[in-house]
Amino acid sequence: METAGQIVSWIYQYFDNFGFLLLAGVGLILIYSMMGVINMAHGELMMIGAYVAVSAFHAGAPVLVAIVLAGLGAGLAGVIIEQLVIRHFYNQLLSSLVVTWGISLIISQGTLLLLGPSVMNMPTPLGSFSVGPFAFGVYRLVMFAAALVLIGGVWAIFRWTRLGERAQATMENPAMARALGIDTRRVYMLTFGLGAALGGIAGAMFAMTATISPFFGQNYTPMAFITVVVGGGASPILGLAYAGLYLAGVQTITSNVFNEYVGYVSVMAAAFLALLVMPSGISDFLERRRTRATQR
Amino acid sequence: MELKIASLTSGYGRVQIVNNVSLAVRPAEITAVIGRNGVGKTTLIKTIIGALPAASGSISFGAADVTRLGPAERARLGIGYVPQGRGIFTRMTVAANLALGAGVGRAASPDLERALAFFPILGKRLSQLAGSMSGGEQQQLAIGRILAGRPGIMLLDEPSEGIQPSIVQEIGLIVRRLRDEVGLAIMIVEQNLALIQAVADTCLVMDKGAIIARIAPGELSDPDVAQRYLAI
Repeated sequence: METAGQIVSWIYQYFDNFGFLLLAGVGLILIYSMMGVINMAHGELMMIGAYVAVSAFHAGAPVLVAIVLAGLGAGLAGVIIEQLVIRHFYNQLLSSLVVTWGISLIISQGTLLLLGPSVMNMPTPLGSFSVGPFAFGVYRLVMFAAALVLIGGVWAIFRWTRLGERAQATMENPAMARALGIDTRRVYMLTFGLGAALGGIAGAMFAMTATISPFFGQNYTPMAFITVVVGGGASPILGLAYAGLYLAGVQTITSNVFNEYVGYVSVMAAAFLALLVMPSGISDFLERRRTRATQR
Repeated sequence: MELKIASLTSGYGRVQIVNNVSLAVRPAEITAVIGRNGVGKTTLIKTIIGALPAASGSISFGAADVTRLGPAERARLGIGYVPQGRGIFTRMTVAANLALGAGVGRAASPDLERALAFFPILGKRLSQLAGSMSGGEQQQLAIGRILAGRPGIMLLDEPSEGIQPSIVQEIGLIVRRLRDEVGLAIMIVEQNLALIQAVADTCLVMDKGAIIARIAPGELSDPDVAQRYLAI
């Protein structure tokens, strides 16, 4: 039973880490691959989602409703930020980094002024199960499943809706998309809103595992950022999946063999190695290799 | 619908490239804009579709003054554009590319039947990724995509570029059928002498950003004329 528990524990941790990276990164990579902007305020959109969810929950809303409201709230905040600021910085990676970092500071400090430094909480639902001497929270697995559902949702929107078709066209060749009557500004606004909403939903999910404060977002932005950069922008879904699989693997092994801290640092080292070999990310690298293969 | 350009000037930033151009392209008429490399043909076409702003002058399409409209709004009025290099969405299927053509002229749904009637080969490729097709097939897709909408005019920028001669000939035939059967106004920017002579009703010769002559395509059979205007 001891070994079985040990094995389950490793697998469980792998999916926990993987799910964390997917949830934290899904909205961010969508925005990056679409608009060439890395949104450093993504963590703050998650924080907004977390606050909305907790407030709704304490006002008596069921957990699922609280999560949906978090998505709507963060999505709306995202659309406002996009309209006011970000649309001036599309495809300017460095300027957009600085600008969104500024937005991130404004939102977190603004929340601190508005709501004070007090922390809020939301209970972790769904209890736990045990294998041998180890106990595992069910909710962590639900988070992994939720990440898959969100990614599947993004895929379905891209694949099956008119907005998705227009978004794909805009992503590949915005000038041609406009010449076919597509309002690319609107596509960008809606995509950014969708990415922000995904951040809000992720924030609500994380809110049930962590304390919520104005600086909640800082726990997630760095890992999301690394996942997205390692994943690359050529294909949001594949990029996220590959980067998550890889980084979660490294993190699980090193944090078990050594400790949590080494696990965290190893993720940075692993990202560094991946970017040495594939400077623009895994999905860009694979796409370029495929293009070369078809041209031959 | 008729496209009318009056005293149009445009370029990139302060660099003026198109210089005081006036012309009209009428329905069921093929107007070729010819001239050497770098005389401003592509800049002219990009100004017509709204990808570049007009510095002065005016562009009207049918009854509408489109000079200040953005590219998407112009496309929705029925200005169809087949760019140099074809501009197809390589990571999307042929069917999805065709469907996006519906935005030209604001068609309620894409007219796949018409696109496939002119380019039957696309029918066999519908579920294939557009990027996996040959250059000639991609060119046919780029034209078929516009036909899936409701264009009032079609602007073609160097459709013969990088395409084998037999397909260029076929494209020439189809462009003529679009004039005769659909009654489209067509403007074609081209350097390929054979294609110009096969399709054009009128040739406008461009040099240094201005239209310097209007000649009949037959005149290009004279090597001296061809040499002077095209420097081939």
